[in-house]
Amino acid sequence: MGIEPGRLHFSWVSSAEATKFVDVVKKVTSEVKALGPNKQFVKKKG
Amino acid sequence: MDVYNSGLVQRKAIYVEYAQAVPLKYCIDPENCIYLTRGKCGNCAKVCPAGAIDYEQKEKELTLNVGSIVLAPGFKSFDPSKLDFYNYASHKNVVTALEFERILSASGPTMGHLARVSDKKEPKKIAWFQCVGSRDVNKCDNAYCSSVCCMYAIKEAAIAKEHAGNDLDCAIFYMDIRTHGKDFERYYDNAKDKGVRFVNSRIHSVLPVFGTDDLEVRYVDEAGKLITEVFDMIVLSTGFETPPEVVKLANDLDIDLTVGNFAKTSAFDPVATSREGIYICGSIAGPRDIPQSVVDSSAAASDAGEILSSARNSLTTVKEVVPETPVVGDPPKIGVFVCKCGINIAGVVDVEAVRDYAASLPYVEYVGDNLYSCSQDTQDAMADIIKSKNLNRVVVAACTPKTHEPLFQETLIGSGLNKYLFEMANIRNQDSWVHKNNPELATQKAMDLVRMAVSKVALMEPLEEAELEINQEALVIGGGIAGLTSSQSLAGQGYNVHLVEKSDVLGGQALNIYKTASGEYVQENLTALINKVESNEKIKVYLETEIVSTDGFVGNFRSILSTGGEEKNIEYGVSIVATGASALEPDEYNYKSDERVLTSLELDRRFINNDPELSKINSAAFIQCVGSREPDRPYCSRVCCTHSIENALELKKLNPEMNIYILYRDIRTFGEREYLYKQARQEGVIFIKYSVDNKPEVINRDGRLIINIVDHVLRLPVEIEVDLLTLATAILPPNNKKIAGFYKVPVNDDGMFVEKHAKLGPSEFATDGVFLCGLAHYPKPIEESVAQGKAAASRAITLLAKKKTNTIGTIAKIFSMNCSSCGVCISICPYSAPSYIEEGPFTGKAQINPVLCKGCGLCVASCRSGAINLKGFDNDQIFAQIYALKEAV
Amino acid sequence: MSDWEPKIVSFLCNWCSYGAADLAGVGRMQYPPNIRVVRIPCTGRMSPKFALAALREGADGVWVSG
Repeated sequence: MGIEPGRLHFSWVSSAEATKFVDVVKKVTSEVKALGPNKQFVKKKG
Repeated sequence: MDVYNSGLVQRKAIYVEYAQAVPLKYCIDPENCIYLTRGKCGNCAKVCPAGAIDYEQKEKELTLNVGSIVLAPGFKSFDPSKLDFYNYASHKNVVTALEFERILSASGPTMGHLARVSDKKEPKKIAWFQCVGSRDVNKCDNAYCSSVCCMYAIKEAAIAKEHAGNDLDCAIFYMDIRTHGKDFERYYDNAKDKGVRFVNSRIHSVLPVFGTDDLEVRYVDEAGKLITEVFDMIVLSTGFETPPEVVKLANDLDIDLTVGNFAKTSAFDPVATSREGIYICGSIAGPRDIPQSVVDSSAAASDAGEILSSARNSLTTVKEVVPETPVVGDPPKIGVFVCKCGINIAGVVDVEAVRDYAASLPYVEYVGDNLYSCSQDTQDAMADIIKSKNLNRVVVAACTPKTHEPLFQETLIGSGLNKYLFEMANIRNQDSWVHKNNPELATQKAMDLVRMAVSKVALMEPLEEAELEINQEALVIGGGIAGLTSSQSLAGQGYNVHLVEKSDVLGGQALNIYKTASGEYVQENLTALINKVESNEKIKVYLETEIVSTDGFVGNFRSILSTGGEEKNIEYGVSIVATGASALEPDEYNYKSDERVLTSLELDRRFINNDPELSKINSAAFIQCVGSREPDRPYCSRVCCTHSIENALELKKLNPEMNIYILYRDIRTFGEREYLYKQARQEGVIFIKYSVDNKPEVINRDGRLIINIVDHVLRLPVEIEVDLLTLATAILPPNNKKIAGFYKVPVNDDGMFVEKHAKLGPSEFATDGVFLCGLAHYPKPIEESVAQGKAAASRAITLLAKKKTNTIGTIAKIFSMNCSSCGVCISICPYSAPSYIEEGPFTGKAQINPVLCKGCGLCVASCRSGAINLKGFDNDQIFAQIYALKEAV
Repeated sequence: MSDWEPKIVSFLCNWCSYGAADLAGVGRMQYPPNIRVVRIPCTGRMSPKFALAALREGADGVWVSG
């Protein structure tokens, strides 16, 4: 469908793993940031 | 003078104690009202439209008939004005720690802005002095350690740095750092990493710097050099004291006090006073922090309840139920309340902007902001607004629904709204706290979260909850002191208990211990407790038994027990986890190669066996923190300092000529255990301090056992030859993964169970119906394990005594019309909630048992016909949240 | 382009990652402010439709965490 794999992330973090949570947030954010804005699949506006 | 703000600001003669006071009512200060003192004025009576002013109110005497009494009179913070060398009374910038708490507080005199008292200047350098009014018999009479001051000083320093930025210099002057509580040592390590300075020195005096408001301090540093430093502010870490009126109360009630004026108790009955039927909790039992006070209070409730269990529910009144306002078919009228949480949220997120933004969203009828949404007065105000504005949906943007949703839902119920017409936007835990340095984006995120919540709540419908019976039996896992005590308390209040123990004996670690810190023999008391448990017909003991599997949920658990391969099913309503811990077996200090090197518990064993060899020893040493407070095990094991000192004194008793050395990092004899430390020094026990990066070295030289260490006073290496070396080894949690999996409860990085709330819920889990006590929670001495065993039982009984519980309303529901009878939901559900309908027009279609459904949504996602709908997390509602984002992107 | 900040829709399990997120807050751990959390009762509730809808509505990323 033309969505870059880096836009969709899955992970498993238990409720005690706050540090892991933060690490994943950072990783996901930087990977998405590297891809730039999502243009492939967005509903055309107006 | 405003007493609540520690006298830092003035208040009027008519005042409200503090913003969260319950009841939130004004009162007159009789010492400062000129009508009451001089008979003049009386203005307030003239202007009050409600006629609420009554100058004639007098103290009333009430007579109550009760079966037991719980004393919780608290403590007084030590008054340092009598210690003139600290200049507290004469210099405004010398404050007590409680005053500093007010300065840091959002509701304090500076609204949480860090400023010193004299000139409101932002301080650049702050010093904390530990042990002011504690561990001191020269300048005051408090020989005990106040137990909490090290931790609060570190906390204040860390928060001060958080408020003022990292260039604020915080220095803590201490004798021993005592961070013996759960996760405290980590906090201490983090504070060091953040640059809080720790100086091992007791400050002799404070001198004002002429012509400024600054303060000069002189001390000798660890290298022996005299240093003069100037600080902007000095915080005195003042200790606990039992106030004279409490001493009088204790005397009037005829209960015994210790030399430190705390209630005298036995380690095996830690909340019972010397007088039957009178119990204690909190700091009257000794200086203690919040979690321990909470444990004590639950334990006292258990003890008080035990002797009254026959009278339970004989004087209760039934709560009035507010009828639910029907909302179905009405257009949504949403109220949005944005919480400041003091400065926790408002310090980062622009709360007013979020509030005004919320007003622009569809269906929003009302917006407001609160300083603390969870306070009782705000709750009442919210209920009034819901009723007067006829709101039918509510959004609270505040902390996390995981802790506060039930509270706000209660307010909805009280206002006649179904509790599911509610949504929270998590703008604290998941926003302001984690995006501190990015207020602009945090505010934007808060707006997005509020918009998502508003669009979801508009689609929420009232939901019903099913009622469920609570099985009146309990399972206790672990037959150590904590588990035995829990079982005993539960049975004492009339409940049947299954007590499961993995080994072939009851008693746990206590079987290895000689005496408690209070000098009581453990074995005699333990045997008495075991006998009571074994002879109690309400307690069924299963030895050499393990739990094979567990399913079910609060009120209706089922487990399979295995005893020597033989399996048995049990059903119960609550579970208490008391799985204990064990001593580390060290692989350092020649433990494995030299039989003269023992662990603490092995030395105890020799005492228990009256080993005659012990009195023949000429020289003995103890090494502290073996395996504790190390990089890979960064917690303090809490009991070892006291225990080694206790055993050193026992050895001295056997042979007063014996040379005894205790090699330590910080001596942590908290509370009245400090007396033992003092006694040991008086009796000639030699204490030598070492640091983790310069540990003592143990060698065997021609059969002689030699310890090399650098003496901290002489600053020279010394060699000690001993006949006996005892290692104070760490307390290790067992592998708790299996139990954690059974009840879906978390385990922390150290392998210990994580309680519901570190301060307010120490004896229970976040999972309903599962409780926690003893070493499984954190290393602790016997008296604390007993107290927590009682506390866990007490918390469990609050649930059992209800007899019925409500299931959740957010469950799956099948539209039988759309169901294709494929059976995927039936095979996929982990709780066996769906089944085929066996009769009627929809025979063969699936249905869901609302009692079994946990609302996970697995069946909803798996249903190929789209026939299943998860109430509260419906497709529409989740899509609404996603669509609400469109505007943002 | 340098000041562009992605929006990431995060579907977090109430019992696992959502709890971890709260705990991260309690620990004052700092992380980028780009995620927008949708609380779901369990990742079992997650449907591909949600992820697609989020991307369609212009989200730059989707993160599902149990």
